Amino acid sequence: MLRCTVKFCGGCNPRYDRGEAYQTVRTSLADVAAFSYPEDGVHYDVLLIIRGCTGCPYLYEDIDADHRIIVDSADGIPEAIRTIRQLA
Amino acid sequence: MMTKDQYIESLRKLKLNLYMFGEKVENPVDNPIIRPSLNSFAATYELAEDPQYEDLMTATSHITGKKINRFTHMHQSTDDLIKKVKMQRLLGQKTAACFQRCVGMDAMNAVFSSTYEIDEACGTKYHENFVKFLTRVQEEDLAVDGAMTDVKGDRSLAPSKQADPDLFLHVVERTADGVYVTGAKAHQTGFVNSHEVLVMPTISMREGDEDYAISFAIPTDSEGITLIYGRQSCDTRKTEEYNDIDVGNKVYGGHEVLVIFDHVFVPNDRIFLNGEVKFAGMIVERFAGYHRQSYGGCKVGVGDVLIGATALAGEMAGSAKASHVKDKLIEMTHLNETLYCCGIACSSQGTKTKAGNYLIDLLLANVCKQNVTRFPYEIARLAQDLAGGLMVTQPSEADYRNPVLKPYIEKYLKGVASVPTEDRMRVLRLIENMTMGTAAVGYLPESMHGAGSPQAQRIMIARQSNLEMKKELAKKIARIQ
Repeated sequence: MLRCTVKFCGGCNPRYDRGEAYQTVRTSLADVAAFSYPEDGVHYDVLLIIRGCTGCPYLYEDIDADHRIIVDSADGIPEAIRTIRQLA
Repeated sequence: MMTKDQYIESLRKLKLNLYMFGEKVENPVDNPIIRPSLNSFAATYELAEDPQYEDLMTATSHITGKKINRFTHMHQSTDDLIKKVKMQRLLGQKTAACFQRCVGMDAMNAVFSSTYEIDEACGTKYHENFVKFLTRVQEEDLAVDGAMTDVKGDRSLAPSKQADPDLFLHVVERTADGVYVTGAKAHQTGFVNSHEVLVMPTISMREGDEDYAISFAIPTDSEGITLIYGRQSCDTRKTEEYNDIDVGNKVYGGHEVLVIFDHVFVPNDRIFLNGEVKFAGMIVERFAGYHRQSYGGCKVGVGDVLIGATALAGEMAGSAKASHVKDKLIEMTHLNETLYCCGIACSSQGTKTKAGNYLIDLLLANVCKQNVTRFPYEIARLAQDLAGGLMVTQPSEADYRNPVLKPYIEKYLKGVASVPTEDRMRVLRLIENMTMGTAAVGYLPESMHGAGSPQAQRIMIARQSNLEMKKELAKKIARIQ
């Protein structure tokens, strides 16, 4: 089971529903990945970064993770799911 | 950090001396006219708890290293300044109203850097006082009202030359423990929803105005403070039996109060300026700069809601595909995003102050606010154009709930057949609320006068326009010696 965490951009002007996107990813990968919100001092296999648009540059480097997967549009959700599944 | 519920409960403990419609308000928290403004303020706490928004809504304290609400943060980088604007847009989108907490954030950032430089020049201990106050604000996640605007009396006269000496807030008595102040601050946004008030002078001062050059912070329910709640157009709709459709925005709102200080005590360790007249202008200029940046975020978020409501009104009327409707929505978006561009631009060009927090580019912040004095009015005009006259002529909710009248209203106010008439009424009332109802106070006249009226920005733009350099450029190109 992959240990995964998620960070949202702040959501000032999102082009899609970021919360819904997270639920889609989490539900689709329930058999191979366990998601939780980030905690200090915890190592993660995957950090899923959900940005509301393409204008957000943050990679949240304070979070210790082997892989950073970025979603910045609704169209990017299937690819994120595929990529994380391949890592499992 | 406080949760939304903890914040609301904390307000119940305040003993505010508040009046509205000629009567004392014993319970502001549950008052139907005041509550929407509280809900907007509470959104600044609620969104900070949500992982989807925490990246904008929270920051790391440079004092304690702890996670804090961004509204209590001293900006540590240009990135912080940009996130501030984005946070404000987000909150404008969620409330479609003024959420009131920006003024305290802007006041704290201005006083933080100014006190450092005053101490450096005068050997005072104001910065130490302020950091102690700020640390408590951050640790307890307090709501702070920033109080700058004096009632000002005769505008042609300096504070100390007024016929009535109280028309600018001033020190009336000095003791070993502190000072007593008397005066009034007008247009105080969010005061009723705040735990503390941070008072600043309202204009640059000169010799003779020493008693007026005063900055301090005290609890909002301090003895001697009286509040008179500001009237808003359509405000009593909130108290009617049917108070859902007609109010336009049932949950959120804003407020302003007239704050009267009648011989109010300020202890020494809460004083941040006391007679150093030449630094009054520094506090004013920095606060105004930060607050002019703020409008490039909050009003844009409110504008997002108004553009959305206008587009819905067009769809509900079946006019969404008309080319002029599409073009007007484009124009509204263009104007709204132009304001946002200014907010982001003045943030990205910010610089570090001697105290360590970041200050926006003052020229660009003033250009931002100058545009804000105009564009929301044009956006509102276009919204009213597309909404049509029904926005102001439709029957009341009480008529709609009347079983005899409802079938007629359902039938004759119907637009597109698939859209419920009630939905259409709701959207039109929302546009009315934002362009001429209670929320228009925040979206229109506040855009005009908040953080300084248009002429105040033009003075700052003139001061920082670097005109001599521009003339030199022209001379060189024109080959003039």
